[in-house]
Amino acid sequence: MDLTDALRADAAAVLRDGRARLVIGYRAGEDRPASPHPGWATPRQSRAPAFVSDPARVDVLVYDASCRQNLAAYLKKPEVRARAPVAVVAPPAVMRSLVLLAAESQVTDALVVLLAVGEGVYHGVLDIAQTAALLREKYADLAPAADLVRRIEELSRMTAEERAAFWSAEFARCTRCYACRAACPMCYCTRCIVEKNVPQWISTAAAAHGNYAWNVVRAFHLAGRCTLCGACEAACPQDIPLMLLNATAAEEVAREFGVHPGYDPAEKPLIGSFEADDKCDFIK
Amino acid sequence: MKLLDADKLADLAATLVAAGYRVVAPLRDAQGAVRLQVWSPGAAIDAAAIPANSAKEFLFPSTETIGRWSLDGGDFAPEPVRPAAPRTVLLAVRPCDVAGLAILDAVFSGDCRDAFYSARREATTIVALACSTADAECFCTSVGGAPDSAAGADAVLRPADGGRRFVLEPVTEKGAAVLKAAGATLAEGQAALDTSAEVPERFDAPAVAEWLGSNLPDRQAGFESPLWQDLGLACLGCGACTHVCPTCHCFDLQDEATRRQAVRLRNWDSCALALFTAHASGHNPRPTQVERWRQRVMHKFRYFQERFGSLACTGCGRCGRLCPAGVTMRATCAEIARAASLLRRSSRSGCEGRKADAK
Amino acid sequence: MAQAKTQNAEATGAFEPRLVAFVCTWCTYAGADLAGTSRLSYAPNVRIIKLPCTGRIDPLFILKAFEGGADGVLVSGCYPGDCHYTSGNLHARRRWAIFRRLLEFTGIDSRRLYFSWVSAAEGRKFADLINEITALVRAAGPFEPASPARRRPWT
Repeated sequence: MDLTDALRADAAAVLRDGRARLVIGYRAGEDRPASPHPGWATPRQSRAPAFVSDPARVDVLVYDASCRQNLAAYLKKPEVRARAPVAVVAPPAVMRSLVLLAAESQVTDALVVLLAVGEGVYHGVLDIAQTAALLREKYADLAPAADLVRRIEELSRMTAEERAAFWSAEFARCTRCYACRAACPMCYCTRCIVEKNVPQWISTAAAAHGNYAWNVVRAFHLAGRCTLCGACEAACPQDIPLMLLNATAAEEVAREFGVHPGYDPAEKPLIGSFEADDKCDFIK
Repeated sequence: MKLLDADKLADLAATLVAAGYRVVAPLRDAQGAVRLQVWSPGAAIDAAAIPANSAKEFLFPSTETIGRWSLDGGDFAPEPVRPAAPRTVLLAVRPCDVAGLAILDAVFSGDCRDAFYSARREATTIVALACSTADAECFCTSVGGAPDSAAGADAVLRPADGGRRFVLEPVTEKGAAVLKAAGATLAEGQAALDTSAEVPERFDAPAVAEWLGSNLPDRQAGFESPLWQDLGLACLGCGACTHVCPTCHCFDLQDEATRRQAVRLRNWDSCALALFTAHASGHNPRPTQVERWRQRVMHKFRYFQERFGSLACTGCGRCGRLCPAGVTMRATCAEIARAASLLRRSSRSGCEGRKADAK
Repeated sequence: MAQAKTQNAEATGAFEPRLVAFVCTWCTYAGADLAGTSRLSYAPNVRIIKLPCTGRIDPLFILKAFEGGADGVLVSGCYPGDCHYTSGNLHARRRWAIFRRLLEFTGIDSRRLYFSWVSAAEGRKFADLINEITALVRAAGPFEPASPARRRPWT
């Protein structure tokens, strides 16, 4: 049975036997026209999502290389959670997001079941623990794209002034639409830091210092929690290279603390925990 | 006819700048994305691609100071704030963008005149570009527009001679002034206009508007229809569609202060954001994306029409091109139109005493 | 702080950096106090902000300081193991490592941001530290108004 048939068969099965009341996957059908954006590390366009609750309608589901949207983001929505249990078609990026959400107590096996897929391969109906095991076995070497690493190194070799000029130009385009936040499965705060106004920590105006604070603080809040799925950068209507920020933080976190989020549903939160031997060579 | 070689748009821009205009045009950046931006010498104008942003930010910026107070020395003194309104030519904007400005005019220059918007509007000359290409997200013809429409423009660039030239056609006095300022960059001559882009009708907008406003029992249509549960599911609740939409105009007022100065800012807001309708009590009348997406559609295709007499959507398709979740106003309206036609069919059959055909 | 100038600056017209130090009550603030009571002289460029613990210091404080006009920022607290609240500084340590990298990567010169452990008994260390940092930030120059992090006057 090929990937698509197996996926559809299992989607119908979980709907029929009650393991799920809603299947979230990727939709076959009209190709979206070429985006006005070429994208940076992550190509912008993805197949649109499909929401299936009728086992007779699973033929709308497909999985191929153009399925890039991180569907784990839908688990934030109360109207989706109300339809629990939810089955999610999950490529490795989505698998990691869901395992990480479980580690942060945002999803449980009662809420979500995974229809795990990889490149050209269907892995079956998995719970969170099985997904973590699969990730450790088959997808443990997920590394950021070589191009991304190269660009970070290039930027790191510049002077601080040159980097400030680079980011000034990039953040100048930010209109504060918060598509980056909406597309990210880990940005699930019901009241985001930027929406707190007693005091107003981050200016909501799309001006230099507000845009800088927003993008840097979001990257910081994701440190140790970002699986580099690229959804934020793909969502940005202004082509801001957000992955440069996230991958920089992720690289620091991996190097200094050995943390690779999304492989263990019992992992300790990075910022919420500490070790006796944490790095302090920069502390006078 | 006044003619311009297709590769001479930058020359036209330079001449207009020399004549004292600020020029906004579709510019291609180093990554290959095309956006409407302020032109400066050396910037590459790309009129072939549909720009990612709309022209609205040049009349209604994403953030703007609308009030200022000095707090120095214990004082609280208002300072005058004059809107920045340089004489501007919006060059090569699509008819759908021009149509968007008409919507903004109704809101900001209608019964309540916004000084900031109006100052910029008066200082702006619109040179539209008739479309010779369109893509699958375009749906201007479904909402009363057309790819070659000059409605609302001061002048129009019409592709001619197989895309090698533009004919620059004045429409208003402001447009004629731009042609005059363009001077020798324009040649006098004849050219054969290219055929306009084809944008097939994607949905029946009047049927959509009727369905939206209907009050049928058993929640078969309109505000109470269960169809909204499905229509709103994919929406992630960001403001991307709002920000790129040529007609969206909701804003948030924010006061910011240091010890010496306070300002009142007007920033773009979005009804798609969860806290847009949050009350201080904690109650939110639009608690999920279902209600919020419904509001977006109702506003553009029903409420705005009731108040101002036109749809608040110009079919530019940007929401569809840029939505990270593949949601588009076009597809939503097509779904509603389908539901509307099913309803019509079943009610007709009902009248004749027969069951409706299964779709 | 914008109006505050040192006597030096007024006299010579030279650039005098404005530093903000976020310090914990129980160790570094006490250390600074000791420097004072011991009549140890240190550069007057620093404005000290007292917090109960370095664990209370949100990285946003550092950003707000740069936004508002600081040329350099110091964050200082108890040595690991000495925290009055047991582990506040251990939580802070991780945040600092990551935030520091993000700020550096986005163009805030690493010569402008410092972290230290200063105990209540280390008045001398505090004074030396402030003098050292002031000199380093003076050498780095004024924090660029063109930096994306700095709040510019509203136009």
